[in-house]
Amino acid sequence: MLIMKNVSKVYQTEMVQTHALRDFDLEVKEGEFIAVTGPSGSGKTTFLNIAGMLEPYTSGEYLLDDVNVGGLSDNQRADLRNQKIGFIFQGFNLIPDLNLYENVEVPLRYRGIRAAERKKRIESCLEQVGLGSRAKHLPQQLSGGQQQRVAIARALAGEPRFLLADEPTGNLDSLMARQVMELLEQINRDGATIVMVTHDPELARRAPRNIQIVDGQVADLTLYQGVAGQTDRQVVGG
Amino acid sequence: MFLHYIDLGWRSLRRTPLVSFLMVLAIALGIGITMTSLSVYHMMSMDPIEHKSSRLFHPQLQTMDDGEDTWSEDNLPYQLTYQDAKNLAEAPFPQYKAAMLRTGFTVHMDNSEIRPFIQNTRVTHSDFFTLFDLSFIYGSAWTQEQADAASPVAVISEELNQKLFGGENSVGRQINLDDTSFRIVGVIAPWQTHMKFYDVNNGAFNSQESIYIPFSLIAAMDINTWGNSNGWKFENIRSMKDKRQSEIFWLQFWVQLEDEAAVSQYGDYLMSYMAEQQNFGRFNREQLEYGLRDVNAWLDYRNVVSEDNEVLVALSFMFLAVCLANILGLLLAKFMRRAPEVGVRRALGASKRQVFLQHIIEVSMLGLIGGLMGIGIAQLGLWGVRLTQEYYSPLATMDLTMLLSAPVIAISACVIAGLYPAWLVCRTTPATYLKTQ
Repeated sequence: MLIMKNVSKVYQTEMVQTHALRDFDLEVKEGEFIAVTGPSGSGKTTFLNIAGMLEPYTSGEYLLDDVNVGGLSDNQRADLRNQKIGFIFQGFNLIPDLNLYENVEVPLRYRGIRAAERKKRIESCLEQVGLGSRAKHLPQQLSGGQQQRVAIARALAGEPRFLLADEPTGNLDSLMARQVMELLEQINRDGATIVMVTHDPELARRAPRNIQIVDGQVADLTLYQGVAGQTDRQVVGG
Repeated sequence: MFLHYIDLGWRSLRRTPLVSFLMVLAIALGIGITMTSLSVYHMMSMDPIEHKSSRLFHPQLQTMDDGEDTWSEDNLPYQLTYQDAKNLAEAPFPQYKAAMLRTGFTVHMDNSEIRPFIQNTRVTHSDFFTLFDLSFIYGSAWTQEQADAASPVAVISEELNQKLFGGENSVGRQINLDDTSFRIVGVIAPWQTHMKFYDVNNGAFNSQESIYIPFSLIAAMDINTWGNSNGWKFENIRSMKDKRQSEIFWLQFWVQLEDEAAVSQYGDYLMSYMAEQQNFGRFNREQLEYGLRDVNAWLDYRNVVSEDNEVLVALSFMFLAVCLANILGLLLAKFMRRAPEVGVRRALGASKRQVFLQHIIEVSMLGLIGGLMGIGIAQLGLWGVRLTQEYYSPLATMDLTMLLSAPVIAISACVIAGLYPAWLVCRTTPATYLKTQ
């Protein structure tokens, strides 16, 4: 599904070169649920942004579904992102002027899906996250946990095969965090591949595969088996 | 997607009502001022007789002796002498031609209900009505016999007919011009142009005359011009007869020439006419010279639309540019504030092109609203111009072309102002803002 070989990301200013990722190697198989941990500034978010094609990498090779991302134009990357990747952010990143229905609709519009099909998917996704009756509400009328569930519904609406979550429970209390985690596990069981960046060791332990990033490199792999029904998963390190 | 972008644009304008209002106001003011000056310029520079302006020509003859100067750019007199105008009008070629001058009379009726008033009058040949495509509501032009006999007959305008006869068919009725009673032979429909292009001497945008009488009456009634008379040498003028025989320029002359061959043929004719006149001691020059300009070339030659108007239009466009600079600043601030939302949209699959298009459509909407408001401001401006002088009344209006141009100019201007901010916002790296939302 995802293969990164020797991927590096260097942020260059006039005075300083900062290596956010160095010779980063990782392979993610279809259907995996991976927790990415590491200290602040280790390169977790940079990895996630590169995986989601939200920013370019400096060197190396990145294949997503056998497509070499480095050779794609902006439009092709946008299409690929829209077709295959769903995002869940720590800050929810809902558009404040749009109601829940319209927020979930955003990726579907860019994909050019017809109105009737969009409606079906949006209603189904909002139902799935338990907010079917709140479709006309604005994001600011919801709690943090509910907003994150909307963000998950938005990510799911495009039926992505690959879900990237950047500290999805970072702004939530423990109860809501647990609910969101259960939702992600359900989504993973339904077939989506999930890569989740988290600071929370408890949440990380619930993921079948853990990756630790330290100084821009994969430092450690840990397999937690027997959690969230993922006992039969084979672990592939990078 | 286009309708969706319109929806997003509308929401965005409503989200920041004050900024949106300021931007709309800026574009409306810019467009209002620009369209006011542009409308006047447009009306002034409009072809006054579009369907045949390239076939109507005003001849000029270089009558002055060698070494004499006049103030035209090519040193050719603007007008003709009476004798040349009369001779050219009586020539067999071309078919349609008319000499003319502006004069005026006190108009009074035999009844006392209408108070006497002074009215501009054009003295001309009957071809005048054919040359300038004037249509008759009642009657027709005077006949050749009436012209030859210098009969006191007149064609009047529909407006004057309304004033004197309540709009009835007045053919055969009498009006008194000074001391002479004239019989009305025709009533013409209003002119289709705002410009008095056939005689620009005393203001090209004054109203056309309301009374037209035969050219032969100039001699019969000793009619003098109310327009310009220009002499270039000392002549002892003691009577109107002296003036008619003088070298003073005081008449206009128009001919209709159908094609280039006719123009060339008429040029040859003018040269042979001047050579012939040299036998009578006139045209004392080594090099004979004539001018033959069609309507638009004539108006250009006579500087009907002065440079002042062009400067005014240029200044108003500069004002629009200042408004646009303000809009650009506001758009830049507004769009960059929205960069986090753009980051989300990019993460969710929007391409740079889609983001760019969304913002360009938003600024186009701004332009459309500003343009429509600008039309209102332009109407106020034109109303103000009309109030200053009656002379501007027919000019200070917006025709359909200008009405349609206003939103087009406004939208184009806004798109130009919005290009940089839209380009900047679509170039933002989405990842930069996703954490900071």
